[in-house]
Formats: sequence, structure tokens, C-alpha cells
Amino acid sequence: MRKFAVLALIQFGFLSACGGGGYSIAPPPPPPSQVIATHGPPNVETLVVSTGPAAAVGVINTAYISVQVCNPTSGACQTIPDIEVDTGSTGLRLLASAMNGLILPVETNGTNPLAECLQFADGSSWGSLAVANITLPVSGETASGVHVQIIGDPAYPDTTIPTDCTGTPRNMVSTFGANGILGVGPFLQDCGSACVTAVVTGTYYQCPAPSTCAGTTATLLQQVQNPVSMFATDNNGVIVELPVVAAAGATTASGSLVFGIGTQTNNALGMATVLPEDPSTGFITGTYKGTAYVDGYLDSGSNGNYFTDSSLTTPACTGSNAGVFYCPTSVMSETASLKGTTTTTLTANFSVGDADTITAGDAAFPGLGGPNSDPKGFDLGLPFFYGHNVYTAIEGNTISGNMGPFFAY
Amino acid sequence: MKLTGTALCSFVAAAAVAAPAFAGLGADSTSVQADLARMKGSLRVTSTGAFSVHEITTSSGTVIREYVSPDDKVFAVSWHGPFVPDLRQVLGGYYAQFVQAASTPHAGGHRHLAITQPGLVVESNGRMRAFYGRAWAPDLLPQNFSVSSID
Repeated sequence: MRKFAVLALIQFGFLSACGGGGYSIAPPPPPPSQVIATHGPPNVETLVVSTGPAAAVGVINTAYISVQVCNPTSGACQTIPDIEVDTGSTGLRLLASAMNGLILPVETNGTNPLAECLQFADGSSWGSLAVANITLPVSGETASGVHVQIIGDPAYPDTTIPTDCTGTPRNMVSTFGANGILGVGPFLQDCGSACVTAVVTGTYYQCPAPSTCAGTTATLLQQVQNPVSMFATDNNGVIVELPVVAAAGATTASGSLVFGIGTQTNNALGMATVLPEDPSTGFITGTYKGTAYVDGYLDSGSNGNYFTDSSLTTPACTGSNAGVFYCPTSVMSETASLKGTTTTTLTANFSVGDADTITAGDAAFPGLGGPNSDPKGFDLGLPFFYGHNVYTAIEGNTISGNMGPFFAY
Repeated sequence: MKLTGTALCSFVAAAAVAAPAFAGLGADSTSVQADLARMKGSLRVTSTGAFSVHEITTSSGTVIREYVSPDDKVFAVSWHGPFVPDLRQVLGGYYAQFVQAASTPHAGGHRHLAITQPGLVVESNGRMRAFYGRAWAPDLLPQNFSVSSID
């Protein structure tokens, strides 16, 4: 408590020094109930918010773990650090340049090697598909025969990107922002049934040669799967547990990635409120200042809270933050009401600070917020996770009577 | 800047000659048919008088809207659905400019991208299985058109 008061004072002084005319509103106090699970077997991984791999520049509010990846045939393994934990995508994807020379067997559709174009809102990642055995090194959770994407595979250079795999390429650590990504989102596969029945542009490809890749269908079993769903136990979802971070920001934050929901004594739903997601989109509804935004979600893969509030657009941020983030002169406390597909609602308190005041080298800034150009969008990203244990349950699982996919906290 | 403009003009001209390889933003309404064919979608056209909206729904569920001005130019496009459409197709002659602009470091992470350039604005949002984006050419907007009408 004393430490908290000191931090609040520092924050107040900092803002005054920056010419903030308003008064500083302290961030919501840490929920007294937050308990962060202790790292270790059988199901808790160390989760660190850091600036990530050296090649990645300007990373903020991104949570990383290490993953041990092994060749199922040769037994050769590498432990790869700085893999982003993303509750907004599905599947393990590795940057080839971070694999220390580890070679994995290619995944084929029986005839040809498979490759994938992974779509992000800010570009796409292109690479081959491979088969790996993986171990989460702290918890000891394992999955065998996992389909993974090798982004930036030297055998599939950017010159082999199919013309219908569009968007700016994100095939290097510097442009991807991590050595890989562990997608532990609400879905079992990245594409799902759409890619089974028809060729979906810009998704799966079969490649007689890297230069002759052509769009293909992919069965659910061929697709890149949610690795958590392939664990023997603790396989129905994850909990991201990160501590409260002071409003001024911090160089790092350390917490836990807990596997399974209601499968161990350390991952019970407890008092958390369940918000069932739209089973197709993963969306919930966020109501903010009287407007309902139906494209809502909680997402560790978003580095800020992205939402529409015209009162926050001035004063504008400067430099690379301009138009991307909000820069209010004092920390604003905001409240939204979240609702899933049931009538249950859940209050979401978050803060918005001045993105231009982020200290160089800091990896965690809980007040990072920005506009959402999806007029229906309401994205509570990693800043919201500080101080909340956020549950993401995978589709097809029923947990304490609640059908996944759902969010809870 | 002048160089960029020249490059863009020649790119558009080449696209016009090679139609229907490129369509989408900046092209004329006949290009919508090319997009429809490539996307294997269904088309619905609505008109307000001031402009018309050609809405293509792809078989995989993504809806692409192309906004066509009275002088028959696609001045804005939007997409929403489980997959990002072929942006080479949707952004047409503006695609190269978009990719170039988006390749510079940006602060919004993987979920949000906003490009504001002379002659081109692109906004892209979303995550796996749920994307939303829109783009417009400010120079081509009909008079008194509000970009908030692009949805």
C-alpha cells in the first residue's frame, strides 16, 4: 500500500512537470482478489512483458514466453525465447531466423508440402508448415505432432510470396516484433471449416516447389492448431495473469500463463464472470459512454486499448504516436460494460495516459490507448490485463456449465 | 513527391491497359465485375443518387464494398469478415503505395494499422477470423461525401 502511494505521487509529479493542467486520477486499485499462480509444473509458465528480441524495435505491452521446439524424427531441440503470447490468434509460428538452425520435417497434404499466408491487420506472414513436438519449459506441458508455421523460411523467400497473399510482409523478427507467436486464442484451428470446404484466398497453399505454390483447401487436422488443445490435460484454455503496473510505466512486468481452466487447484474459474463469445468471430459487445460496440474483444496480442472516444483525440500525440494513440494531459479513468452472448454484464475499468510520456526502454505502460478505426470496434488489449487474470476458453469445451469460446475475469 | 505521382499514374495506366488484372480503388465500375469474378462472390448494388455501393460477398463470408462516384470511379472500398480480401485486387493501382507506406515501422501492433498519405487513406483492424478495413482516395471523393459513410 505504501509503495502504491509513492508511485501515485511520482506519477502526479511527472504529469505536473509535463504541463498537465488537470488533476491526476489514480488508477483503479489492484483487485484484492488477484492471485498470480506460481510458475512451475504442471501447468504454469513464466510470462514476461519485455521489449522482446533485440531486433524488434519499439515493442510495448507485449508478453513473451520461451518454447522448446523439437524435431519429432531426429530428436533435435531448441528452446526459443521471446515468443509472443497471443490470445487473439491460433497456432505456434516461429521466425526461421530465431530457430538456431533447427530443421523440422515439412507438413504435406500427402502430395505436396504445405505453406501458409497468415493474415494480420497490419500485414501478412508467409512461410512453410512443419511438424514439431513442443514443450513449455517451465510447466512441462507437451504436445506432439504440432503443425507450426515457419515464417521467413529461407526455402520460401519473399520472392515466392503468392500474388494473392497480400499486405506488407512481416517475415523478419524486426518487422514481426517477436521470435515467434504462440496463438492461444478461442479457436481450435486458425482457419477452421471455411478452409476445409473451399480454397480461401490468402490462407493455405500447396507447393510442388516454393515458386509454384497454389491455393488449397486444408482439413481441420492439416491446419495449424491451437497447441494448448493438444496437451494431454489442461487443454481447454488459458489464463493470462499479469500484475498491476504503475501508471508511469515499468521496464518489465512478470506474471504467469496458466494452462487449463478448472483443471487444477490453481486455475479454477472461482469468482470470475463468464462472457461467452460469438462462436464465429470471437466477439463480445463493449458499451462505452452510451454506445454499444459489437466488435469487442479482450486480447493479449493488442498492445493498447483501442476504442473510439472523440474527447481524447486532442491534444494529439506526436511523432510515431500521432493518430495511433491518445495523449490526454492527465490519466483518465474509463469504464465500459462488457456483455457476451448471455445477459450477464461485466464492468471493465481501464485508464488512458499520455503515450508521449512513455519512458524509452519501458516495456509496460498500462495507460496505452488509441482510436479504433473499426466504427464497431472495442479492443481491450494487454494494458487491460495488468491487474486482471483474464481467461480465454477454447471453443468446444464446457467448463462449469459454460460453453467455450468465452472470456472471463 | 512528383516522382511518386508519376509512378502512380503510369501504374494506373498500365492497369487500365491490362484490365481486368487490376481493379478496385481508382478503377471504373466495370472493374467491379472483374473483382466479382476473381472473388467468386455475389453482388448487390445500392444507389443513393450521390454514389452507388457495389457489395461483393465472397463464398468465405467476407463482404467487400466498392463505392462508385457519379463519374464512375471507385473512390472508396471497405471489407469486413473472417478473412482479409486480396488487397492487390481491392486497392488496385494504389496497392504498391499502400505496401510501401505500411512497411515503415508503425506503433499499433498487429491489430491496427492506419495509413494516411497524399491521395490515399487505409485503415485496417482486427484479428484472426474477424477483420475490418476501409480505404479511400481523398482526391476522388464526390463533393460533400463524408468518409464516415464508408462502412
